[in-house]
Amino acid sequence: MPPADAPAAERPAHAAGRPVLEVRGVAVHFGGVSALTDVSLSVAAGSVTGLIGPNGAGKTTLFNVVSGLQAPNSGTVTFEGRDLARMPPHRRARLGIARTFQRLELFGTLTAEDNVRVGLESSIRWWQWRRLRASFPWAHDVSGDGARAAGSRVVSLADRLLAGVGLAGHEDQQSSAMPTGNARMVELARALAMQPKLLLLDEPGSGLDEHESEALGTLLLQLAADGMAVLLVEHDMELVMRVCDRVHVLDFGHVVASGSPDEIRADPRVQTAYLGAPSGGARPPGGGR
Amino acid sequence: MSQFLEFTVLGLILGSVYAISATGLVVTYTTSGVFNFAHGAVGMIAAYGYWELVTHHVPGALAMVLVVLVAAPVFGVFIEWLLMRRLLGDTGERPVMVTLGLLAILIGLALVLFGENRGDTLSPLVNGTIRILGVGVTAQDLVIAGSAAAIAAALRVLFHSFRLGVALRAVVDDPELLATAGASPVAMSRTGWVLGSVLAALAGVLLAQQQQTSLDTYTLALLVVSGFAAAVFGRLRSVPLTYAGGLVLGLAVVYFGSYAQPHLGTLGPDLSAALPMIFLFAALIALPSVRLRAVGRLSTLRPPRVATGWESLIAAGAFCLVALACSMTLTGTVAGGTSSFGVILDHTMAYGIVGLSLVLLVGYAGQVSLCQFAFMGIGAFLMGKVAGGGSLLGLLLAAVVCAALGALIALPTVRLRGLYFTLATFAFADAAYTGIFPDTRVLGQGLNVGQIVLPGLSFGSNRAVFLLLAAAFVLTALLVLAIRRSLLGRRLVALQDSPAAYATVGLNAAFTKVAVFAIAAGLAGLAGALYGTAAGTVGTSDFDIFTGVVFVLFVVVWSVRTVSGAFLAALSFAVLTHVWTNGVGLFAGAGIVLVGWTPNGILGIGPLARLVPERWIGRRHRATGDAGSLVGVVDGREGEIRAAG
Ligand SMILES: Nc1ncnc2c1ncn2[C@@H]1O[C@H](COP(=O)(O)OP(=O)(O)OP(=O)(O)O)[C@@H](O)[C@H]1O
Ligand SMILES: [Mg+2]
Repeated sequence: MPPADAPAAERPAHAAGRPVLEVRGVAVHFGGVSALTDVSLSVAAGSVTGLIGPNGAGKTTLFNVVSGLQAPNSGTVTFEGRDLARMPPHRRARLGIARTFQRLELFGTLTAEDNVRVGLESSIRWWQWRRLRASFPWAHDVSGDGARAAGSRVVSLADRLLAGVGLAGHEDQQSSAMPTGNARMVELARALAMQPKLLLLDEPGSGLDEHESEALGTLLLQLAADGMAVLLVEHDMELVMRVCDRVHVLDFGHVVASGSPDEIRADPRVQTAYLGAPSGGARPPGGGR
Repeated sequence: MSQFLEFTVLGLILGSVYAISATGLVVTYTTSGVFNFAHGAVGMIAAYGYWELVTHHVPGALAMVLVVLVAAPVFGVFIEWLLMRRLLGDTGERPVMVTLGLLAILIGLALVLFGENRGDTLSPLVNGTIRILGVGVTAQDLVIAGSAAAIAAALRVLFHSFRLGVALRAVVDDPELLATAGASPVAMSRTGWVLGSVLAALAGVLLAQQQQTSLDTYTLALLVVSGFAAAVFGRLRSVPLTYAGGLVLGLAVVYFGSYAQPHLGTLGPDLSAALPMIFLFAALIALPSVRLRAVGRLSTLRPPRVATGWESLIAAGAFCLVALACSMTLTGTVAGGTSSFGVILDHTMAYGIVGLSLVLLVGYAGQVSLCQFAFMGIGAFLMGKVAGGGSLLGLLLAAVVCAALGALIALPTVRLRGLYFTLATFAFADAAYTGIFPDTRVLGQGLNVGQIVLPGLSFGSNRAVFLLLAAAFVLTALLVLAIRRSLLGRRLVALQDSPAAYATVGLNAAFTKVAVFAIAAGLAGLAGALYGTAAGTVGTSDFDIFTGVVFVLFVVVWSVRTVSGAFLAALSFAVLTHVWTNGVGLFAGAGIVLVGWTPNGILGIGPLARLVPERWIGRRHRATGDAGSLVGVVDGREGEIRAAG
């Protein structure tokens, strides 16, 4: 884990490496409601950046803007120096932006393994005959179960990714039949399967027990150490404070504070806006699942 | 000039006919979120009810009140209770299927109770003729034009002035939100179905009185189809726009028929019948794209377990043996006709391939197409025309041209919401059936398709041609199952389950949708070509749009997610169409009521599911294990993924 940056920086300083994602002056209005007003922040490679704030602050809306599911009313989003304006979600994903969803968006009728396989195979285009053929059943799969025996690499990779998020032995479960915590981990494995440069996690810790969320924290640190940029929305303060290099606090669509976890903990504005509520993961009802 | 005035008045009256049915559609849609394909059928039943009362000497006005203000509301409440309540907020294919099923069952009932044609006309509510701008207009036409305008105005006031109207409009936008605001979505939906039924009944009776010809079940039930274009013009929301759309469409149809068609002469088929559908297609293309949203609605459908390669090969082998045994009973040549049993066998195979195309399209990808029979017709046409008929090239072209055509239709429409996409396929099917197929240069009453003759091998005998069809069916079934096990199959199911997640893993939803629609269209074209060579001669009536819709229902009733379902649907459909034609709609409709309860169809019902090779994955699963270690996932991951590709 990279060391925490020098204290008391005015603007977001990049704790580790170059900024991968830059959000500048983004505003989103839903009719009369302003979900985001003039939000600017950046996420650096090789670091975990936290995004916290009370319910309805606009965190999910910001994720939607970055991943292309929501067009901003104003402002720009750049990824590795490229302006993403009007780029459809699937092209952003191909550039290396992966995400999970607060309200689960699993491929519910597929098994956990197939969910991850869709992610692993997403880079295969229809004109890439060789790769395509390798994914077709008659190449190695005539005997069905033999797929694994024949050493289909995609399958074994999918299983390894699932094992990596703690779901070994759950490969053949229908994903919509899984408990929320496990289902979130399937989404995470699916996102990791795309080898993203930027990973957006929307409350991955909700539904996990203490032990699991600690393991999640370790995984996030490891991903960052490997150079991935992680943007983490989370209500579990313990997790955020443990893994984040920088934290941005969002309230009513504004960034009200940015800094290292220690600065954020000490910031009085944050205390009133957010931590005023009992800390340690306690949160008002209604958010998450 | 006077001629122009006459056409204008005629066009406005025709437009009022469109508008009166289209506004009813809009009311049901805005209040319940369901596009009611059975709207016209409700009107048809009302017209028959009115006719029954009048023939039993009930005065016209009283009969009108009884039908429109008493029977229709009761019917609306009943339908809402029986079918629609379970579908509130359902975004899948079921709402469309259920109203199509209602259409089928109402037509089926009418056929059983009243026959296809009553041979009787209704006398209008008011008599006499009035001259307007030098044009003679019957009083009945004036009543219709007045009613259309009055209904539009009244609905506009209702929707925009009262709390009820505001609440009614909110149902379709967000039923959950409405529920939290204290209003009951069920109550709103019920109000909507009552209003919709009243309007449907009123329109049905008025339009039946206007019809110069005798009461005809199909004509009345499908009268509203032309109104679809007007409703879409109003975006299924705005009553004034819908009314205006109806008038514009009426004028366009009359002007086109009077001015343009005579000059086109014999250049092309008579398009005036297909004009409303061309309008519908154009109106759909003009609609904005659906916005991709993370809805957080998890698909909890129980999927069937996918058969493995060996399982499907063994099943295919067994199927071939049965087919061989059946073929032993067949004698004679295609030209000499075949037994009823032979026809049923041939039809089962040809419809079976269409059913498989629907498994791919509806079952896996979640796209509802109502135009597979139109592709069949085009396939049969190509088979009959290319190289003088009966050539292998024709078979190939039937598949390729239909696939290309499918891609062409899908390209501008896949970006639309599911319902609009379905309407686009309906528009294409109807335009082909009413505007293109009847032309004698296309299919007309009968087109000789011809038999395939290869060196040393002739498919002129009934036995050989059946075996050809059976082989094609088995190969298609294996293909569909292989696709499901492949990357494409996983992608199709993923796309249906969560379009938002599909895009955010880097996959292009539009491309996938166009591809699967094209494949399905190609399969349907192939099925049509084979159907043609087995039948020898085909006509427009072989590819009836209503029959095509009912067949989709059959597949959904049996189970649209399994290959077994497609086969059983084709078999039961082929048998019923030969044994009891009127029962086809009744079976489909009754089955759809069931689908409202068990989404996986007949094969999804516990004990029955065990009878077919494709088992359904159980909802129960092993208890959640411990989380295990999260560490170790990253090491060497990148290199391996690249190597795997
Ligand atoms: N599609 C939408 N239409 C209208 N308003 C919306 C929409 N999406 C979000 N909002 C509103 O925008 C605001 C921000 O919502 P958002 O979901 O981004 O908050 P959040 O920070 O993710 O909250 P939570 O912690 O509950 O997940 C809320 O007031 C919400 O009601
Ligand atoms: Mg959120």
